[in-house]
Amino acid sequence: MNKTDKFSNKVEISFLEDFGTAIIRPLLGIFLGLLSGGILIAASGVNPFTAYAAMARGAFSTPQSFANVLVRASPLLLGGAGVAIGIKAGVWNIGMEGYMYMGAIGAGIVGILPLHIPSFLHIILCLIAGIITAGIWGSIPGYLRAYHGVNEVTVTIMMNYIAQFFCSWMVHEPQFMAEPGSFFPMSLSMVETAKLPILMRGTSLHPGFIIGIVLCIILFLIIRLTAFGFQIRMLGTNPEAARYAGVNTKKQILTVFIIGAILGGLAGAIEILGLKYRVYMDFVAGVGNESVAVALLASGNPIGVIATALFLSALKVGGATMSISTGVGGPATTIIIALCVIFVIAMGQGEPKQLRLDKEEKKDVEVNQHVS
Amino acid sequence: MSPDIIIDWLQAVLRWGAPLILVSIGEVYSERTGIIDVGIEGIMLVGALVGVIISFFTGSVLLSSIVSIIIGALLGLIVAFLTVSRKTNQVVTGLMLNLAFLGLTNIVFSFFSETRSVRVNRFPVLFPESLKSIPILGPIFFSQPISTWIALILPFLAAWVLYHTSWGLNIRAVGDNPQAAATAGLPVIGLKYQAVILSGIFAAFGGCVLTLGEVGYFASGGMTAGRGFVVLAAVVVGGWDPVRTALACLLFGATDAAQLRLQTSGSTVPYQFLQMLPYIITIVALSGLVNKSKAPKTWGQPYNPKDI
Repeated sequence: MNKTDKFSNKVEISFLEDFGTAIIRPLLGIFLGLLSGGILIAASGVNPFTAYAAMARGAFSTPQSFANVLVRASPLLLGGAGVAIGIKAGVWNIGMEGYMYMGAIGAGIVGILPLHIPSFLHIILCLIAGIITAGIWGSIPGYLRAYHGVNEVTVTIMMNYIAQFFCSWMVHEPQFMAEPGSFFPMSLSMVETAKLPILMRGTSLHPGFIIGIVLCIILFLIIRLTAFGFQIRMLGTNPEAARYAGVNTKKQILTVFIIGAILGGLAGAIEILGLKYRVYMDFVAGVGNESVAVALLASGNPIGVIATALFLSALKVGGATMSISTGVGGPATTIIIALCVIFVIAMGQGEPKQLRLDKEEKKDVEVNQHVS
Repeated sequence: MSPDIIIDWLQAVLRWGAPLILVSIGEVYSERTGIIDVGIEGIMLVGALVGVIISFFTGSVLLSSIVSIIIGALLGLIVAFLTVSRKTNQVVTGLMLNLAFLGLTNIVFSFFSETRSVRVNRFPVLFPESLKSIPILGPIFFSQPISTWIALILPFLAAWVLYHTSWGLNIRAVGDNPQAAATAGLPVIGLKYQAVILSGIFAAFGGCVLTLGEVGYFASGGMTAGRGFVVLAAVVVGGWDPVRTALACLLFGATDAAQLRLQTSGSTVPYQFLQMLPYIITIVALSGLVNKSKAPKTWGQPYNPKDI
């Protein structure tokens, strides 16, 4: 078997095979996560069925509560998509929280300016500013990973902390963004023209979730249908083959990082313009990790991200109701989310590659037998 | 600045550095075998809570330490199973376990909220009053609890074990070249398990020291406040060497103590930049911009016995 054959063999990515594991594994993981969460709830003296029923009620019983789910899903959709495209390209771009802070700072700086321009234009300017700051931030780990081979997971985590402290500094008083004399350090409020419209009276439903869903679909189409997307998938499944096929892997990795950062930055910017109206430290605390969970539960598939982001935000919103009516709440939700992910990754991280390798070995053996 | 402030600051450096040093010892071993145990943040949290609960009910600090070490070993076993046997991404696994442990400690703590009302028994200060009253050295060193002294001595012992025993050699071999180690007949998987469990043990004990060394109570909502990640940073900056990592821990402890003082003194110096410092130094060290840091060759990579 000559070399070209071997590579072309590997580059061929069978969608059907991936599809099975992509659906069944997360579902099983979520089931096991909910099961062990139920055991935990039972152990703390509450009927798990009552608790989960309260949770479902809290997330879906009224239009208001479902609006709340959509609001919470907005940063998860974008952050999850950002992590997901990284997973597809074989890099762990888990700096979403940092990108959210940087995006929020960028958008916030423009958002507090009384520009006296149409709201539509002001919002666009804010989003662009957020994209630029987050994109620059994301190019740092991307560059280090692509051109210096520095472990991206460690760098992105460290950069999350740096961004968080930077954000805290930006909203402390001598800085121009800070609200003077406030007890809790925070930025000035966004001006009216920079605020996203509210879609439903009596809720805080802003169009963030629509942007998130649309971008997830676009990302899915890019990954599936374009040459660029094919290169990303090739990079993720077999970087050697990608290099062999003439892909500039370094530039590709950097691009993937910047795309992820832009999505994260958008998530932060939208959170500021649509929901919080001010930048302050910890305004997205924990959402970065949840984005990783969203992307992993979706096996890095952007369409799957839509489902898992909604699932996770329903868990979070329902968890609050569960906490009021049964006394177990917030912490239990966190554990359930974490357990779901742990079960999913424990069931088969790295396994598909191994399978493929085994199959190939078998094929090699068969070929050899034919030859002999 | 008056000398009193400096003495007070140095005392705080050792006090806050001690848990970091203890946690870092286990992490050095784990990373030397190639496994980055990010779960130390959560395991620290569990150790901190267990320490307070046991000390509250029994009053025995020794028992607190023992129980937290046992629980730490079990949690380390979970990390080892996932990262070594199931070959999951080490950092993602750690992040998720941290999330789970954070939730778990919050739930458990809500059952033991009565511990909030008192300061439980803490690690004792062994030195007599006469030593404590020595100027400068007295307050800095001799008024420290025994846990600080353990933290100051253990890195040297850990370095000796790592460089001068055959077990230490095996640990280093597994991280640098697992295939060669396996060929030489070393139980690669077993050694990785041992090192990761060790990181769990030290993380839990470090957490126990965090609460029982000074404060004597537990606060829900993540009282470790990212210290596990500071340790991860220190291990990189310390070049995966126990003693140099301990020094990095003290350095980071010093910046932390300094920023806390800046924050409370109402100074306009931006303390946030001091908070960033450990992470910036780590990225610079990782990038090899200062000197090529000597990461274990399979740092962060899964080991598959079938790869040759």
